[in-house]
Amino acid sequence: MKLSWKPYILSLLVILIIFPFVYLVLLSFASDWQFPNLLPSYFGSRNWQMVVGSENGLLGSLTLSIIISLSVATISTLSGFILSRTVSYHSKKHTLTLLTYFPYILAPVVFGACLSYFFLKIGLFGTATGVVLAQFMIAFPYALIFFSSFWGNRTKSFENLVSTLGGSQWQSFSKVLFPMAGGMLLICFFQTFLISWFEYGLTSIIGVGKVQTLTIKVFLFIKESNFFFGALSCCLLIFPPVLLLYINKKYVFNKLI
Amino acid sequence: MFLEVKNIKKAFHKEQVISLLNFTLEAHKTLSILGKSGCGKTTMLKIIAGLESPDSGDILLNSLRINEQAPEKRGIVYLYQEDLLFPHLTVFENIAFGLRIKKVDKNIIAEKVNTMIQRLELEGQADKMPHQLSGGQRQRVSFGRAIITNPSLLLLDEPFGSLDAGTRTRMQLLFKKLAEEFSITSLFVTHDLKEAILMGDEIGYMEKGNLKVYKDRDSFINDPMTGVQNEISFWDSLNTKKENEPMNEEVKIKNETE
Repeated sequence: MKLSWKPYILSLLVILIIFPFVYLVLLSFASDWQFPNLLPSYFGSRNWQMVVGSENGLLGSLTLSIIISLSVATISTLSGFILSRTVSYHSKKHTLTLLTYFPYILAPVVFGACLSYFFLKIGLFGTATGVVLAQFMIAFPYALIFFSSFWGNRTKSFENLVSTLGGSQWQSFSKVLFPMAGGMLLICFFQTFLISWFEYGLTSIIGVGKVQTLTIKVFLFIKESNFFFGALSCCLLIFPPVLLLYINKKYVFNKLI
Repeated sequence: MFLEVKNIKKAFHKEQVISLLNFTLEAHKTLSILGKSGCGKTTMLKIIAGLESPDSGDILLNSLRINEQAPEKRGIVYLYQEDLLFPHLTVFENIAFGLRIKKVDKNIIAEKVNTMIQRLELEGQADKMPHQLSGGQRQRVSFGRAIITNPSLLLLDEPFGSLDAGTRTRMQLLFKKLAEEFSITSLFVTHDLKEAILMGDEIGYMEKGNLKVYKDRDSFINDPMTGVQNEISFWDSLNTKKENEPMNEEVKIKNETE
């Protein structure tokens, strides 16, 4: 019988993919792991209990990150959907679309540095609102580009049909366009949430260390060489996207395919 | 006259799409308009529906100038070649759509929609989603959705263009029946010669942004511009050819083998 290597290679690949995540979880339960000890001197739930006790501000960072990312995702998805319609039907559509790529020409850190003067002037430097606005400036163009494929002759025909049937523009949006774009809206929400969730450069510059999102916290722990809290905050960082991925897979992708 | 279209002109950039449009239509009548692609039929319908604004001219509906009226206030429903059923709504909800946005009472909606489903011969399909229907069924739902709102004018832009020949014939008959039953006033645009003759109480021919409405069916048939004479000559020539041939190839081969 011919020996097949496929299952072994496949298992190796699965282990390689899963290992970093498992290792992160294990590390988040450990502390005092000195070289050359094979195992950590402490393994338990102490680090996780500290999250609840908010001694390191991790619970606060988690809550702040969730609020910021939900705000950025909601505002950019909704405004992106509505404004992409205006852009798509505009006579200068191509120029406007080209402009939406502008924020991606610069690295987020450089972009943040360029904007910092204006944020300082309007009093949004070092505030959560400032971070939401800065992240929105990155997420919103993405939403505009994402929804541009939705608007076309066919969608325009649907809008025209609704208006000749007696519907207002609001009814056209609420009863036809939003339900028709339901899957796309959810995917865009998910993507813009992720853009905001993992955003570091802009947040660190506009937040000036006062707005400590979970991503900022991870880097702080790593800078301090506190791998155990770093791993713990990484676990917290991964949890919401995994949850969103699960929801998307279960309720959105299956319906779209 | 119920609909009066006076001196309508429309150009896109420098291209004159509607040169000078003048015609009238009586209530409860269908004017079928024959025209090739790009002759300005769709633009004409969109101007009447209020989806495009004319460069000049007037549109009067029931002696009332409607140029400045928004499409949703005109009571004119514009039907596309595509059925454009709302993919997230069932057959019942698609037909009920126009009534729901007008906030008609739920019980009246249910009664009207169920009657319409019967008239459209769509019994048992009410809970189906659009993707579960055939092309003909989808077009019937589209008709029902428009007619149930009791529009003052129905604009049909090649509504059977995407259907196969058999379904198309059945839909033509159904539309004639519905038009009579619901006393519909309509403009029926098509590029099919036979359909133009069958569907219209009056017939018009549109070319390069100009519309000519004929006083009767014979004038339409006898005008060489409409292409009816060409069609007749084509079928006549086929007939003559057939009569001159003593037997067709199939019979000839059969006889030779015997």
